[in-house]
Amino acid sequence: MSLRDLALEGLEQTLNRILDLDPDARVRLAALHGRVIRIELRGAGIELNFVSGHDGRLQLLGTVEGPPDCTLSGSPIDLIRASDKTEGPAQLFAGHVRIDGDTALAQRFSEALAGIDIDWEEQLSHMTGDIAAHEIGRGVRALQREGGRVGRSARDNLSEYLTEEARLLPHHLEIEDFLRDVDTLRDDAERLEARIALLEGRMGGDKA
Amino acid sequence: MVSKRQSTHFGFRSVDAGEKAGLVRGVFDSVAGKYDVMNDLMSLGIHRLWKRFAIELAGVRPGQRVLDLASGTGDLADRFADLVGPSGLVLMTDINAAMLGAGRDRMLDRGHAGNLAFAQVDAESLPFPDDSLDLITIAFGLRNVTHKEKALASMFRALKPGGRALVLEFSKPVIKPLEKLYDLYSFHVLPRMGKLVAKDPDSYRYLAESIRMHPDQETLKAMMEAAGFERCDVHNLTGGIVAVHRGFKF
Repeated sequence: MSLRDLALEGLEQTLNRILDLDPDARVRLAALHGRVIRIELRGAGIELNFVSGHDGRLQLLGTVEGPPDCTLSGSPIDLIRASDKTEGPAQLFAGHVRIDGDTALAQRFSEALAGIDIDWEEQLSHMTGDIAAHEIGRGVRALQREGGRVGRSARDNLSEYLTEEARLLPHHLEIEDFLRDVDTLRDDAERLEARIALLEGRMGGDKA
Repeated sequence: MVSKRQSTHFGFRSVDAGEKAGLVRGVFDSVAGKYDVMNDLMSLGIHRLWKRFAIELAGVRPGQRVLDLASGTGDLADRFADLVGPSGLVLMTDINAAMLGAGRDRMLDRGHAGNLAFAQVDAESLPFPDDSLDLITIAFGLRNVTHKEKALASMFRALKPGGRALVLEFSKPVIKPLEKLYDLYSFHVLPRMGKLVAKDPDSYRYLAESIRMHPDQETLKAMMEAAGFERCDVHNLTGGIVAVHRGFKF
């Protein structure tokens, strides 16, 4: 017994407290009852074994006997990136993250965790009651919308200033033109290279 | 022929061997309701780490059959039921009906179903067939059993070859300064806590006394070996205040 156990206990409790806030994620994890998913943090030399319970709460063990059902290994940053929907597959194909064992299980497990979506309004309603929670939720959403609108308009203004007025950055049409030119040049160079190779081959043939 | 009356200890008192089970029953009938609160309070929450350590040593795999003796409110059984998965089975047992009832209510409230069974069982004569279980655990229970040798032999009999038994129990502190502090704590602080929270200082005095009467690490290990267990090992936790004994049947 050591600090390791204390850390595992703390991590497990935190994780389960988060899972308590998203019943849907717990339903997804409960379907994996008894399966062992190991996460190896490369570089740190840390190994975490997750076992899903009947109610979707997780048990975190430092060691398990026998092979786990599946193992995800990678550096901490790669593993976090891999949980991203758009970047995830690229991480996997680039070989940064490795999956051994039951890959379908690994996917279901990471999707269940990555898809955690906490309904804050529902959680708030336990403390303030439904009506107040709904009003607060509406306020927050309006603020997010307004914030998003202000942010978008500021971004548009800035990019217009940089490209059209200060001309510090090229317009995206100019970039497209430039990229097209580069493509043409590359193709021309390749054609020329092929032609030279052909001519060299012919000269070599004459000599022989 | 004069039949010799066997005596045993109940805390620091010497009592008739036939009497101990009833006295222990009185203690646990009295504390069942406040059991979880008192555990957290008395051990400052460390009992969770002791149990976590024992669970890793148990090495439970999906599909296994696990017997948890003296389950109490089921801290170990709760975790085992998640580890064995839907295809496994955990038998949650206690000799005390009040404790078992409290434990069963807690497990049902937690939504366990299908892979968890309950039974009132005497550890000295287990009602299970020979070679039928993968793991038997007894956490903070062996101390209260009248004939510990009989309980260990019974556990050995019911285990499958390749199975293992785990005894998590208070033991003898291996660090000297800790011993003094521990004595002060168990004979002065503990009964007072019991009086304040559970309104039952005597039961908690028994707890402290029974811990002192329990065999130390080496003695218990020898007892397990005498019962037939092989590759026995001892793991001291929190300076030996608690120890996990593990033995295998081959």
